[in-house]
Amino acid sequence: MSKTSRTLVTMPATAKKNEIIDIRIIVQHDMETGFRHSEQGVRIARDIIREFVCTYNGVEIFRADLYPAIAANPMITFSTVAVESGVLEFNWKGDNDYASSTTSKITVT
Amino acid sequence: MTEVLKTRIYFFFALNCAIASCFADPAGIDRQSSFALMSPQTQAMQNDPAQNPATFWVLDGQTLWQTPAGKKNNSCAQCHGDAELSMKGVSASYPKLVNGKLLNIEGRINQCRIEHQQAQPFAHESKEALSIAAYVGNQSKGMPITIDESPAIDIHLRAGQKIFEQRMGQLNLSCAQCHAERSGLKLAGNVIPQAHPTGYPIYRLEWQTVGSLERRLRNCMSGVRAEPFAFDSQEIVDLELYLMWRARGMPLETPAVRP
Repeated sequence: MSKTSRTLVTMPATAKKNEIIDIRIIVQHDMETGFRHSEQGVRIARDIIREFVCTYNGVEIFRADLYPAIAANPMITFSTVAVESGVLEFNWKGDNDYASSTTSKITVT
Repeated sequence: MTEVLKTRIYFFFALNCAIASCFADPAGIDRQSSFALMSPQTQAMQNDPAQNPATFWVLDGQTLWQTPAGKKNNSCAQCHGDAELSMKGVSASYPKLVNGKLLNIEGRINQCRIEHQQAQPFAHESKEALSIAAYVGNQSKGMPITIDESPAIDIHLRAGQKIFEQRMGQLNLSCAQCHAERSGLKLAGNVIPQAHPTGYPIYRLEWQTVGSLERRLRNCMSGVRAEPFAFDSQEIVDLELYLMWRARGMPLETPAVRP
């Protein structure tokens, strides 16, 4: 069974055509580095998000690889050009079959 | 009495007052939430629920509120209804005497779990304990901290104050020496905060997670190389009470973000 978690997306619901819009996303994840040990001295296995992809009406517009040094509950902000009305899809994938997905609609006038 | 002697007495009196005010615990409007010491970016992170990572815990708490648990298969919502109404101002009034025992909000929630849900209490600093405390605390956001000041609580308040002023650990420091007498000065490049627990449970960037006031206090005690009070010990709850009393009237910020 794949793991999933909560996500929060902040972006405008409407925009003018060719306007630059800011997108801010945050996802709930411990981002366990794999370098820590428990109080009993046992190494805690790595468990991180590895990849983030954003598509805009099916076209990939942003991608990021994530590594162990990235903080828990990682926030990513980026911008794009509002070309047409539609749906932005956000996908996170990671260790231990982690997968989260969410979508946001935008109306371009 | 000669004029010279009189002047000297006045001088010493004035000097004593000056020293006293130098080392006084900031009170009334001189009190400041550590929010004011944070960078604008961190402040923005706290103020915007879509940026505040503790929102995840608040949302988890909301789910827990509605999830039946224990042998009685009761949810919090079944007895308390809508938390936005029933829990408004509740966290701002804890620690509080409940049937003669001083409990913080986490302790109160666990007592409710044991008595009314017949469920296992949440473990200290577990995701569940912090989530429900963050959700309940969030209902009091912006409301003034109002600690019960009835005579019955006096003994705990005094005990808490005594701990606050007592030197401890290898470094032989009291809470008051840094957070009352030297607040606003610097320690290793950071401004020493006044230690008003206005936003617990907090999302601490250093912890990369949400933590309770007890965790923070134990953290500070390890810092002065003292043996930390146990979770739920009388000492730690007394100290929590004293700190909340010191911060009485200040608005609750739960869930706050701190560096």
